[in-house]
Amino acid sequence: ASGDGKPAKFQPPPKPVIIDKQKQRAERRFLSPEFIPPRGRTDPLKYYMERKDMIQRRKVFNIPEFYVGNVLAVTTADPYANNKSNRFVGICIQRGGKGLGATFVLRNVIEDQGVEVCYELYSPRIQAIEVLKLEKRLDDNLMYLRDALPEYSTFDVNMKPVSHLDHEEIPVNKLQVRMKPKPWSKRWERPKYNIKGIKFELPESKMKEAQKWSQPWLEFDMLREYDTSKIEEKIWKEVSEGLKK
Amino acid sequence: VQDCHVLRYISKEESGGKTAKLLVGGKNVSPFFKPESAHQIFKEAGVPCKQKVSTFNVTDDAIIKPGTPLYAAHFRPGQFVDVTAKTIGKGFQGVMKRWGFKGQPASHGQTKTHRRPGAISTNKASKVYRGKKMPGKMGNIYRTSFGLKVWRINTIHDIIYVNGSVPGHTNCLVKVRDSKLPTCKEYNKNPPFPTFFADGDEKLPEDLFDEEIFKFTDPSVTYT
Repeated sequence: ASGDGKPAKFQPPPKPVIIDKQKQRAERRFLSPEFIPPRGRTDPLKYYMERKDMIQRRKVFNIPEFYVGNVLAVTTADPYANNKSNRFVGICIQRGGKGLGATFVLRNVIEDQGVEVCYELYSPRIQAIEVLKLEKRLDDNLMYLRDALPEYSTFDVNMKPVSHLDHEEIPVNKLQVRMKPKPWSKRWERPKYNIKGIKFELPESKMKEAQKWSQPWLEFDMLREYDTSKIEEKIWKEVSEGLKK
Repeated sequence: VQDCHVLRYISKEESGGKTAKLLVGGKNVSPFFKPESAHQIFKEAGVPCKQKVSTFNVTDDAIIKPGTPLYAAHFRPGQFVDVTAKTIGKGFQGVMKRWGFKGQPASHGQTKTHRRPGAISTNKASKVYRGKKMPGKMGNIYRTSFGLKVWRINTIHDIIYVNGSVPGHTNCLVKVRDSKLPTCKEYNKNPPFPTFFADGDEKLPEDLFDEEIFKFTDPSVTYT
């Protein structure tokens, strides 16, 4: 009550905010990047036919949601192996290709030898894909792990899958990776690669010299803009309806 | 396959060749950009104006009435096919790109000579032969790739999935014909003859696959 003398205006109590966990779960939707067609002059009928085939394959064989930077285990059919199948565990360093030719590269260090294997997502030889650890990293492309110390690319082949709750956000691992001494396979300090996940221990003069190759006009270039939001909406509807059937 | 119709039948005597011919028209275009003389053939057949008209040599028992539409289901998976189209035009090109000449070394004293043809004839000939490979306009000519296997046919959208590569740029017009290679004759034995009629009795499924191809409804491949 205020010291005015007049009766205080009735303030209704604040309404309780109910956070529905189920709604939160439905909000996060993930559309695999290979569904989005690239910009070009091809007939959209071609991408429509590819998407139908991709949805067919996904109905038969489950392709889980995964990002660059998480650890996967892939079993493929191999006619020359003992059990006729081959299991490889590794960290996903890049996802390329669109449509049925979508690929992902897994990297691991086995007995002090770095091994990278490129798998096609929709290949009929793949028998199982398991996500052992679901997390994102600071970059889209982890090719710099080739020039990093081998401890950042080693993963135990018999690693147990780390459980991940459905409604939580995907954790972003802000790990800064330490590199081997130069020369590297690519000049990762240059702004063209835009890498945030390396702890550069180079002198200031080298970092300044690398900024000479920066192209600050690129982000304002209107001809390079490719707005995929509307396309993604349509494709998301198509894919989710196709998978529900 | 986009709106293909049979336009005219030319008998063996009329054309002067060895077999009868059928004129077939391709993609529909607006008649306002075609000359009046071209409109007559399409009016006789009762069909909208087509972008491209090509001839097919046909035996007498395979003659089709002008005006019938042709579909992708005319071909079946397992058949072999020849595909003709205009290659991508590269413009005026030098001898290294056009004919695959080796050129000259980049260094070791070469003066202004790195991509030139070098010698064009011998001393004794004292002339340059006709057809000598020289720089010129490359591409934009009709070329055929032979013996391509058909793996899959989509009857609803009229799409033929063919093995290997096909001449031409994306979305260009292409002529597809039964293969004339002697090794492929036995595979082309049972086609829908004379063609696949849409208003006929047989109802085809949406997708026709070859036996050896992996269908996406099958589970993953396992070796035993």
